[in-house]
Amino acid sequence: MNDKKQSLSKLMLPSLLSWLLLIALTFASVYMTYLIDSRPLFISGALVIVFFKGQQIIDIFMELKHAPKRWRLLLLSYVILMPLIIAIIYIF
Amino acid sequence: MTSNSLPITALKSSVKSPAENRLPGDLAMWFFILAELTVFALFFIAFAVSEQQNLVMFSQGKHQLHQTSGLINTIALITSSLFVALALNVMQLGKSRQAALLLLIAKLVACIYIVVKISEYLLLFEQGIDIETNTFFTLYFLITAFHLMHVLLGMVILAYINHNARKGNYTANNLSGFESGASYWHMVDLLWIILFPLIYVI
Repeated sequence: MNDKKQSLSKLMLPSLLSWLLLIALTFASVYMTYLIDSRPLFISGALVIVFFKGQQIIDIFMELKHAPKRWRLLLLSYVILMPLIIAIIYIF
Repeated sequence: MTSNSLPITALKSSVKSPAENRLPGDLAMWFFILAELTVFALFFIAFAVSEQQNLVMFSQGKHQLHQTSGLINTIALITSSLFVALALNVMQLGKSRQAALLLLIAKLVACIYIVVKISEYLLLFEQGIDIETNTFFTLYFLITAFHLMHVLLGMVILAYINHNARKGNYTANNLSGFESGASYWHMVDLLWIILFPLIYVI
């Protein structure tokens, strides 16, 4: 019984930590609006946060961290390329 | 190889754990997810390009939106995704009742998103703003309503896997349908993660 509880909390811990990080990053991206005056810097910061949030969702929530590498990289490329394309459009 | 090593290997391979090198859920669902991500990618690029061409209009449009609503919706979707992930975790240990309860909580949290989004639309309609007001609001309504449709579809999928979990149709070694539904829901969350800063913050 205790073993089952231990393995359950071991399974749940990454999701809970990931959720905390996602919430913190969400607030960080909103408060950056008030903290950073430079638009290119602000856009870059917000889009870097998008990458880290996306990585958490893909690796932890979608459980792709231990999936075949190609699938993980395919999904991760989305949260790398999308912010990059948006940044290029906005900044250059 | 000893005579009894084969059954042990076979037994080990039948127990699925997140540490395995396998794609969770059905392959078809992942292709569907990729297709959805591609469609939204085009929307995101269209929004960014249009903003660069109409900086003043987009800046004014963004000021007319309720950033707090966007923030609440982000928290609602992330939290809903957490409960779906937790439901899968408990299901991996064969606890279908707890999984069904967690899925129900996930759906209730997702309802916050729907209520906030619809009230956001109604507030804009009251101000005389609709899809034809200007390019910003055309894209705003198209992208957010398209995303809302995905949330609604996701809730139908969650209801379906919830029903199956309650009936005990999933076991610790037969979770493909559950994982596929959960992955779709996380995709909805993933899209909002990009949509929120693009439309409300930047």
